[in-house]
Amino acid sequence: MERAALTFSDVSAGYRARKVLDEVTFTVNEGELVSLIGPNGCGKSTLLKTAAALIKPLSGRVELFGRDVQRIKPAERASLLGVVPQKIESPMAFSVTEIVSNGRISSMGRWGTLSASDHDLIERAMIYTDVSGLRDRYFSELSGGEQQRVALAMVLAQDPRIIMLDESISHLDINHRQEVLQILLNLNREKRMTILLVSHDLTLSAGISDRFLLMDAGRLVKAGTPAEVLEPALLSTVYNCELQVKQDPYSGTLQVTGALDNLRHQRKLGRTVHVIAGGGSGLELYRRLLIEGYEVTTGVLNRLDSDAESARALSVRSVLEQPFSAIARDAVDEARKMIDSADVVVISSVPFGSGNIVNLELAAEAASKGKVVLFAAGIEQRDYTKEHAVRPLTEILVAEGASPWNTIQELMAELLRLQPSP
Amino acid sequence: MNAKEHLCTDNRFSAPHRATQWRKVALFCAAVPLLLCFSLFFGPSGMGLPDIQTPFGSAILSLRFNRLLMGLMTGAALSASGVIFQALLRNPLAEPYVLGVSGGAGLGATLCILLSSGVLVTVGLPVVAFISSLLTLMLVYTIAGQGSSGPPSVYSLILSGVIVSSICSSIIMFLVSTASIEGLHSVIWWMLGSLQPVPAGQQLLSAALITGGIAGIWLLSPQLNALALGREMAHYQGLRADRVIAAGLLLGTLLAATAVALSGMIGFVGLIVPHVMRAIFGPDHRKLVPLAALGGGAFLVLCDAIARTIFSPVEIPVGVVTALAGGPFFLIILQRRMKQAWIS
Repeated sequence: MERAALTFSDVSAGYRARKVLDEVTFTVNEGELVSLIGPNGCGKSTLLKTAAALIKPLSGRVELFGRDVQRIKPAERASLLGVVPQKIESPMAFSVTEIVSNGRISSMGRWGTLSASDHDLIERAMIYTDVSGLRDRYFSELSGGEQQRVALAMVLAQDPRIIMLDESISHLDINHRQEVLQILLNLNREKRMTILLVSHDLTLSAGISDRFLLMDAGRLVKAGTPAEVLEPALLSTVYNCELQVKQDPYSGTLQVTGALDNLRHQRKLGRTVHVIAGGGSGLELYRRLLIEGYEVTTGVLNRLDSDAESARALSVRSVLEQPFSAIARDAVDEARKMIDSADVVVISSVPFGSGNIVNLELAAEAASKGKVVLFAAGIEQRDYTKEHAVRPLTEILVAEGASPWNTIQELMAELLRLQPSP
Repeated sequence: MNAKEHLCTDNRFSAPHRATQWRKVALFCAAVPLLLCFSLFFGPSGMGLPDIQTPFGSAILSLRFNRLLMGLMTGAALSASGVIFQALLRNPLAEPYVLGVSGGAGLGATLCILLSSGVLVTVGLPVVAFISSLLTLMLVYTIAGQGSSGPPSVYSLILSGVIVSSICSSIIMFLVSTASIEGLHSVIWWMLGSLQPVPAGQQLLSAALITGGIAGIWLLSPQLNALALGREMAHYQGLRADRVIAAGLLLGTLLAATAVALSGMIGFVGLIVPHVMRAIFGPDHRKLVPLAALGGGAFLVLCDAIARTIFSPVEIPVGVVTALAGGPFFLIILQRRMKQAWIS
């Protein structure tokens, strides 16, 4: 039976004249790693402050392990819940040890004396976050990543059962972000620490979180697994911009990206170019064609091919085949359909082997149907098929009126020339 | 034989041994009494210890000793009050003068001196000064808190403090300009700041208030350390931050008001002594509070010894010496060790 660690029931909260949280209800169970997401100013920080009893709710009830948080004594609350703020600043020259010792402030004696178990907790926290080497340095002189680890050590020294982080890692560079996240993950997995992470990096959170809480304008819009919450339509409304959610082909984690379609916002020519590429020969072509305003399709590509990756990144419609296998019939059929609906077929400077020669056959077939085909010059030097299949196919192409191109500039000029005048 | 007795079953970490600054602290603590004794050798009647066999000599010595006590109390109070204001506001500029606390105390004290006489002044002065400075602090807080949600920001506090402070000094100026001749003399002398011994009753009362105030601040010192990271962080760590801040402001105001009532407007000590002590001994308030109080006291006693000797028989206001002599000395220390004092 999972126990509730933090419960909000119909909580509304805010400042003097402004209500920020509007009847928020949710539960975070013990041992969960939950990400709280939402656009700036939606009330995430206020939610954390309300959970930590820094703000008293206007209505509703906040419970920590089943007890009203407003009624828990401050010292005991600190042993249940720790908060790592966005940034802590120490204007005075306190050393790292002194800062971390602050975590035990509520169990200190009258004169700030620490017991043996206090020292133990402080040392463990510093070792866990790998800051014991910094112990005598001044806190204010540390780098942002180190400061954040010290802040985490200080909160760990409280020995809390829940840790809440308020965008504490968003401003760190990728290396330090990974470090801090790794520590959090370890805490969650090894010590079953409950973690509530306010985050702006949806992709990063998707990789580590058990659950998401999505907030918008003070309300909890959706709670659920990353896959449930990270819906493009929902996110796009909440964040008020085009967002795409894709699954990473290798790890299966969800990736949220802003739409990279600024390439196509410019002008649309209403003409489609099918690109036969592979091995990285297609990237520049895709980009230039998209910039010029063509609709681009591509295939058949191997799923692990870097061109497949770039096609995905540029949202180019593509036919993909499983890695290391010959192109199957249905993929060929799919590509044939694409070619049929395209206005022009462009062959990049891709080498041909037995695996992808079928693409060239498709091009020759299209040329004989009267489709305009433009191929990169020197195609015969890139023939790696056993039976030297490229030469006969090229001859067919040339016989059907296909022409070679040398540079992308030349290709673009040719495409422009082919375009029917309006 | 029980082998288990020899086993160490406690595998907990203990705090690593750190080289403490106890030697520095001990040196300082030994130096202070020496400096205090040294100050007894100075006076407008001449250098050196007067002959205590003669009634004249013993009177001079007791006068000097009285002034020593006055300086010790005033300096300690101002310095400790500076420490707590700087800690609570997390701002290096914070001190009783900036927040208008001294100005308010000064206004109350001026009114008290001009309007009453005799016993009322003796006992009433510290009380009136405390009440008026507390009212001023509340006024400053109210002004600073206008329009903001939650507690006022440090910058608006300092801004409104400076404004209220200058209003207070304008009113004092007005009162002085309309005062009678004898009232004028006592007010002016008091405003310039002097360590002329006050009546025994007031001295005792002030001593009690100052000792209590410093002890109170010392008791708060672990909490002050936690508050260095800000009110919110202290709250998260299980501190009743608002109560600590309120108690601290109250104690700081009490100390500043008592010092003002005792010796008038003596600047500089409350601002600079805490910084220098922090630069030398580190920011840990458990050490800083008593050391800063001691340092402030000794500093003022020394300055007073100079003030009454250097142009003898004319005595110059001690506030002049604190700034003129102390300023450059402290600036040199701070320049070399600013990092340890305050980083922002």
